[in-house]
Amino acid sequence: MSLIPTGEMTLGPFFPREFAQDANDLSLGAKGEVIEITGRITQLDGKALDNLVVEIWQADGEGRFDNPAFFGWGRAATDADGVYRFRTIKPGAIDGRAPHVNLLLLYSGLMRQLQTTMFFSAAADPVLDAVPADRRQRLIAKQEGSVYRFDIRLRGEGETPFFDD
Amino acid sequence: MLRRRDPATQSEGTVAGYAQTFQRFPSQPLVKRPQTRSELSGPAHLARRLGPVRGDLAGHGAKRAIGQLINIRARVVDEDGAPVPGAVVEVWHCNAAGKYIHPNDTRDAPIDPNFYGAARLVAGDSGLVELRTIKPGAYPVPDTDGWWRPPHVHFGVWGRIWLSRLVTQMFFPGEPLNEVDPILNAIRDPQARTRCIAKLMPTTKGPADALVYDYQIVVRGRSASASLP
Repeated sequence: MSLIPTGEMTLGPFFPREFAQDANDLSLGAKGEVIEITGRITQLDGKALDNLVVEIWQADGEGRFDNPAFFGWGRAATDADGVYRFRTIKPGAIDGRAPHVNLLLLYSGLMRQLQTTMFFSAAADPVLDAVPADRRQRLIAKQEGSVYRFDIRLRGEGETPFFDD
Repeated sequence: MLRRRDPATQSEGTVAGYAQTFQRFPSQPLVKRPQTRSELSGPAHLARRLGPVRGDLAGHGAKRAIGQLINIRARVVDEDGAPVPGAVVEVWHCNAAGKYIHPNDTRDAPIDPNFYGAARLVAGDSGLVELRTIKPGAYPVPDTDGWWRPPHVHFGVWGRIWLSRLVTQMFFPGEPLNEVDPILNAIRDPQARTRCIAKLMPTTKGPADALVYDYQIVVRGRSASASLP
């Protein structure tokens, strides 16, 4: 049997707030370098987006995806200033992949989830290399101490690269 | 590896009549990327972190929500048709008057004190989740030229891996507004659209007081090829 995946549709503007609460700290009880990942999400006209849902999936500090002591998944919603925040562990490299964090975005007016990947430096990586060279810099977070800033622009000048899988 | 999806079976990124899509969907082509262990793995035992919340939104007796009582039986399967046991399913919808519990829903419509439209369910071995609730109402979308959303139920589903995450909406059969809804009709393939509409089960077989709707959710992934690269 071969079935066709159900069509994706927009999250809509009324995603229950309770679902996105208390899920943005992945660092509790985990080993490794604790970092914060934060950024502001804007649309074409520059407006910051409120209550946009961001989910992440990442390896542990040693690059493992199957560590029972590190969940690796988190979810946050942007605030009224369009800002999301995660507290987590800096992921390690694995299988030829540079350290990275997978992100997906869900929102009203987004008919499909948007997939992107945040990197910590311009290292060789098959996913980063798939992006046109002049846009790769948009996927590299800006480090300020233990804070990695990853702003996301959905559409327009300086648009964040998004993936189709 | 996951198969690429036929774009005709998925929503268009920008949709006439839905202004926000032109502010939010990327203008640059989406980048095709290789699938590695990172994209093809996912959190184990997600249900331990995201456990069940409210399995019954309709209530009973004096606490009964206003509206037509319905039972939604949603089955989560993969592309091989195999059930996804342990799949976490989040469900949210408006009340019978078309009003959401969300504070951002400022439309002038009554709140039902006995209705709280958000639930989280975890699929059993057959991939099935069941929700007793009331049928949501239709409602007008603000700042549009007469767009009304047909009755619909929002679904957020996790399959086995990161790339099997699915957010969609379930529609009801026989609703005239289905024919003109920009969101449902953003899926070009008519059969793919039809699969987003639940099926009404024979009323002679179900519970005496509720209409039963069956709905199948297909998440990405093949059970026959579960091994990771």
